[in-house]
Amino acid sequence: MKAFLRVLKTGDLVIITVLISVSFLPFAVFYMQQSQNTNTDHEAVISVDNEEVKHITLTEHEGTDVFDISKFEDEINTIEVVDGRIRIKSATCPDQVCVRTGYISEPGETIVCLPHKLIVEVHTTNEDTEADIISS
Amino acid sequence: MTKNQRLVYIALLAAQAVIISLLERAIPFPFAIAPGAKLGLANIITCMALYTLPLKDAGKVVAIRLVLATLLGGTISTFMYSAAGAVLSFFGMLAVKKLGASRISLIGVSTTGAVLHNIGQLTVASWIAQTWTVLLYLPVLAFIGILSGIAIGVAANYLLTHIEKLNYYMALRELR
Repeated sequence: MKAFLRVLKTGDLVIITVLISVSFLPFAVFYMQQSQNTNTDHEAVISVDNEEVKHITLTEHEGTDVFDISKFEDEINTIEVVDGRIRIKSATCPDQVCVRTGYISEPGETIVCLPHKLIVEVHTTNEDTEADIISS
Repeated sequence: MTKNQRLVYIALLAAQAVIISLLERAIPFPFAIAPGAKLGLANIITCMALYTLPLKDAGKVVAIRLVLATLLGGTISTFMYSAAGAVLSFFGMLAVKKLGASRISLIGVSTTGAVLHNIGQLTVASWIAQTWTVLLYLPVLAFIGILSGIAIGVAANYLLTHIEKLNYYMALRELR
């Protein structure tokens, strides 16, 4: 601690504060967007390689749904929906970052599996969303 | 510092950085709350390079480290993330260092490096995923980045002040 204080200069504290506030910038932008949107129904959108694969309505979802998403033969992500929360239960990707992300349920939260180019995003449902549900 | 000495020094720093980043990959990261977070130990070497070498050579160290670490256990996508992170953090650290040693210590430089690395990576990730909501993950990564950046700043400061040979080489550079 002594060593730390001897090295630390006031400029460092300024920089650290600036960095912390910069890191919350995306949040600020996001909540500005959200406050214009009064709809409270949540839905999860699963997309692979920028193509939407599945929509799931999370609001009022009950029970447990488990299904596999596999666009390519050996790239399998097992997705579990439990009572309005969604997670990737298991995946065949090398880094397992998506599995460790755990459950998400709030708008704006994402699970990303970069090796498989798979994204699970939670949105608020817009009324003007086109109803093209492509199931794999 | 003669040309050969400088070449050897660049190679030495690059080699250390590669080894450190390979070893770091073998450490399972204990924070289950932040998947994808890393300690960024190789940042010590980048700090050392910035403080002991001219700008061009420090850039060379970072570039060599990037390419070699990818060749020794990365993929094209990890290369894209780390390249974006490394370039952004290198220039950020340079800019912060330019503020002067009287105002900014190694702690400020290395935390800037850590957070800008995260920003670069997440920007590439959100570009690949085509959704900017990936950036909402930034505060978590930045928090851990700042903590590890402070630790690495202290460690790099120890290195700079305690390696006597380094002073010798730096004196040689000033003579030139």
